[in-house]
Amino acid sequence: MAWFRRKTATGVDQLAKEAYFTASQGQLIWARFKSNRSAMIALWALVIMVLMGFFADFLSPYNPTVAGRDTTYENGAPQLPKFWDENGFSARPFIYGTKRERSIKTNFRWVMTVDRNQRRYVYLFVKGWKYDVINMSWGIPGTDYGFEYRALTLDRHLFGVNQGQIHLFGTEASGKDIFSRTLHAVWTSLAVGTLGVLISFVLALIIGGVAGYFGGWIDSILQMITDAIRTVPPIPLFMAFAAFMPDTWSSETRFFFISIILGLIGWPTLARRIRTHLLTERSQEYVLAAELCGASSAHIIRRHLLPSFTSYIIVDLMISFPYMVRSETALSFIGLGLKDPVNSLGALMQNVSKADVLLNYQWYFIPVIFFIALVLAFVFVGDGLRDAADPYSGHNK
Amino acid sequence: MSEPIISVKDLTIRFRTDEGLVTAVDGISFDIAPGEVLGLVGESGSGKSVTAKSLMLLNPRNARYDEQSNILLKANGKDVNVLGLKRDKDMRIVRGGAISMIFQEPMASFAPAITIGDQMVEQLLIHTSMTKAAARELSIEMLTRVGIPDAARRFNQYAFEFSGGMRQRAMIAMALSTNPKLLIADEPTTALDVTIQAQVLDLMKDLVSEFGMAILFITHDLGVIAQTADRVAVMYLGRLVETGTVRQVIRDPRHPYTQGLLNALPKIDNLDAPLTPVPGDIPSPLERPTGCVFHTRCPVALEGKCSNEIPAMEPTEQAGHSVACFVARKEAA
Amino acid sequence: MNAAPIISARGLSVHFPLRGSWFAPKQVVRAVENVTVDIPKRSFFGLVGESGSGKTTLGRALLKAVPISAGTVRYDDGEKAYELEAIGSAELKDYRKRSQLIFQDPYAALSPRMTVRDIIAEPLEVMGLTRTREETDQRVRAIAAKCRLNLEHLRRFPHAFSGGQRQRISIARALVSDPRFVVADESVAALDVSIQADVLNLLKALQEELGLTYLFISHDLSVVSHICDHVAVMYLGRLVESAPTRSLFAAPKHPYTKALLSAIPSLDPDNRGTAQKLEGEIPSPTNPPPGCKFHTRCPYVQDVCRREEPALENIGGGQEIACHRWKELLDATAT
Repeated sequence: MAWFRRKTATGVDQLAKEAYFTASQGQLIWARFKSNRSAMIALWALVIMVLMGFFADFLSPYNPTVAGRDTTYENGAPQLPKFWDENGFSARPFIYGTKRERSIKTNFRWVMTVDRNQRRYVYLFVKGWKYDVINMSWGIPGTDYGFEYRALTLDRHLFGVNQGQIHLFGTEASGKDIFSRTLHAVWTSLAVGTLGVLISFVLALIIGGVAGYFGGWIDSILQMITDAIRTVPPIPLFMAFAAFMPDTWSSETRFFFISIILGLIGWPTLARRIRTHLLTERSQEYVLAAELCGASSAHIIRRHLLPSFTSYIIVDLMISFPYMVRSETALSFIGLGLKDPVNSLGALMQNVSKADVLLNYQWYFIPVIFFIALVLAFVFVGDGLRDAADPYSGHNK
Repeated sequence: MSEPIISVKDLTIRFRTDEGLVTAVDGISFDIAPGEVLGLVGESGSGKSVTAKSLMLLNPRNARYDEQSNILLKANGKDVNVLGLKRDKDMRIVRGGAISMIFQEPMASFAPAITIGDQMVEQLLIHTSMTKAAARELSIEMLTRVGIPDAARRFNQYAFEFSGGMRQRAMIAMALSTNPKLLIADEPTTALDVTIQAQVLDLMKDLVSEFGMAILFITHDLGVIAQTADRVAVMYLGRLVETGTVRQVIRDPRHPYTQGLLNALPKIDNLDAPLTPVPGDIPSPLERPTGCVFHTRCPVALEGKCSNEIPAMEPTEQAGHSVACFVARKEAA
Repeated sequence: MNAAPIISARGLSVHFPLRGSWFAPKQVVRAVENVTVDIPKRSFFGLVGESGSGKTTLGRALLKAVPISAGTVRYDDGEKAYELEAIGSAELKDYRKRSQLIFQDPYAALSPRMTVRDIIAEPLEVMGLTRTREETDQRVRAIAAKCRLNLEHLRRFPHAFSGGQRQRISIARALVSDPRFVVADESVAALDVSIQADVLNLLKALQEELGLTYLFISHDLSVVSHICDHVAVMYLGRLVESAPTRSLFAAPKHPYTKALLSAIPSLDPDNRGTAQKLEGEIPSPTNPPPGCKFHTRCPYVQDVCRREEPALENIGGGQEIACHRWKELLDATAT
């Protein structure tokens, strides 16, 4: 994409010019996006986090549920591997062993002591807890019908120690590894967000699309419906749902339900945007030109309207993501969404609000950093995309 | 010849864009005498609007003025170096005070939610020490002067209640209320119907003689120039190619571009004449030709010379008539 | 050559209802009112007027792009004939192959996401005029060559082209379906003067080569004077004068035409301020004045003009005029 680098005005070579002339809108948008440094950094961060979430099982040394907790290291501080200490250098990173004891001296509270002479070495690709790569279980809530399919069980993990356990981000009150929980939480939040965005997108596309394409009274009615849904306050709604959801539901069902609800109340904003794009594009002269050839509505939608707002829609989707993730997190944080022991960023953040934690166990905040990073990455990528997708009308005379 | 009101020397303006540094204006120089109407003629990409805006420092942030560019404004007995102005306070003296500007699209120049009257009064309050009542009176007087009937009632109306021609008149009224020394008119009649254009041009000519101000009239329409301007400057791709009195440039054009432009115009008094376009297309500002900017389309370009050397603006044997062309010089010699 | 005109409009009116409030009476914009005009085959017919004259609406009505409120329009190209005001959908599809529109704005008329080849090919594909991709390509290349667009250009996207080039692409797209009747709506208004002549010459050459009939809509009388063989002048939705170009420009009869011609800024610097300037503004099309629509601005207005609307009368030599006083004004200037 030579034409977007800084160069003097007369140094344009013929090949680069020709490439610019024959570049489709998609290629132009990508080239503009790449030249936006903050957007590219955000994109990399986003990709890394998504991959971390995707490979969460492989990357987490321990099972994030109760099954994987470390009873000897509850509320433990983060253990960062070292290469060197007063006992010498080691090519293989290590952490220290710990002992927990309780006695009258410590007022019968568990006290952790670090034994700097006992080294636990970190190994790569260790055997650990079993996890299923393909894991699908669907259940219809309130009934016994369900569908479960698990396959491809592996037990390799990226790293681990030869004795005891390693907790990169520390542990929380019941001994669960925060690092493992965080990775799984990122994935859960992304999954809820994706599902929510998908549902709202499909609804928005249909409703906004029909309203924008046909206009007139159809548009007026649909707009009234859209506005009505938009005025529904989410917190009371979720409070009602939280009360309604029976405890017997599995966490997956809850998760699914939350996503659906988020999607159902999130579509109005997207629908409005789609409608606006359609209304503008529809009155463009090249659409009129196609109509004058006798093109059918289907042809116009397919060939002119859809491609023209694909770029807008991708931007809108990208920007909806952080709202979904934030909504789920916020709701879970106040207890109306996913609860402990489910791993979601919001659920993890629930534990943070206690004074005890704030004073003594600051490492509980690490998932918060991930949450902020995830949302910011989405926002920056969305902004970068929106700037890049600004149509070529900027080049008009 | 009295001292010029505004003197532009070696103005070079470049813009930082995604595609690199784009030259919009390249080393142009011209003067405007008090009370003179200078027509700046050019097509798209000629840089005429950018030039006009630079007189009031209205160009966007990514504009870069060259080191040796100089715009000298003589206002109220003082010399003001326009390009050196940094503070808003200093620029305010120039903008709307000594220099006023009217634009092509009057709907875009008036704030839609404020009455015309309020906007005119605001302009006066900024630039003069009048009281609000005096400003109101002067504004209504100006509106009447520009031919808007029932000015007192119109004073309280909004921009959308005016028709296109009336909006343009109101804009002229607003621009003139501060009694500027120089009025910059950027394509003021291009968006108007031809009968309305005739009215507005008449108005402007009357006002010039009444107020004694100079006008920098920017347009691509040579007919309008012939009717209103005293002197003409022709621009192509950021450079001045020919300057002279309006009679000299239109009756006896020396530069091949000016000649081409005049030939390409359909003339109503000679319906049999064929329409001869200037061959080729205007190069994009990203690909400025080397040497003379016009050589890629010039029918008489000299092999080797015109593509390598930039011709300087030199006077012809007619006083006040200058051309930047090797071929024109050769022919005259 | 078949003597019937390709387009025959009789009493054509196009009215647009304005959405009024529930209390105020419904207003109607009479964009085109009672227009009777014949466009001869293979002519370059000019339609001039200022804003609000209804010329664009008339052009679109003749293409059936806007609904016809009253009157009849007959299309007859020698092969097929249609009554446009009552045309059925199947016949309309066929009519679309024979009549096309060239737009004004070269920047908005081309879809930015399609290559030039696809843009030009679209009418062929939509109307099912070709069967194979090779056939489409062949026709696209043929018309593109006529419009001086080469193979390289076909692979590019619109953003690569200047205004004049884009207009040539628009023309190629309009002509690829081999129409008989083309409406050019202000097609050179947005172009630089040096390029205008180029596009105009192209239009003229294509007309001779392909045997087209143009309806050339413009506000620019000088352009129309050079390229059209017949000119019709519109004011507030009505046809006020129609004559062969030479006659119209040599001896305009309607006061509005005279005013239009004198308002064109002359290229002669010594010829200033001699023309008669028209006062006032065009009335609103929702509330037109009674009688002759031009009477509010006419320097020769008399009582009859305020009461009665003049009919379009044919005065021989292909000239038509709608004015009560044209004869006495002509005699007055002659003596």
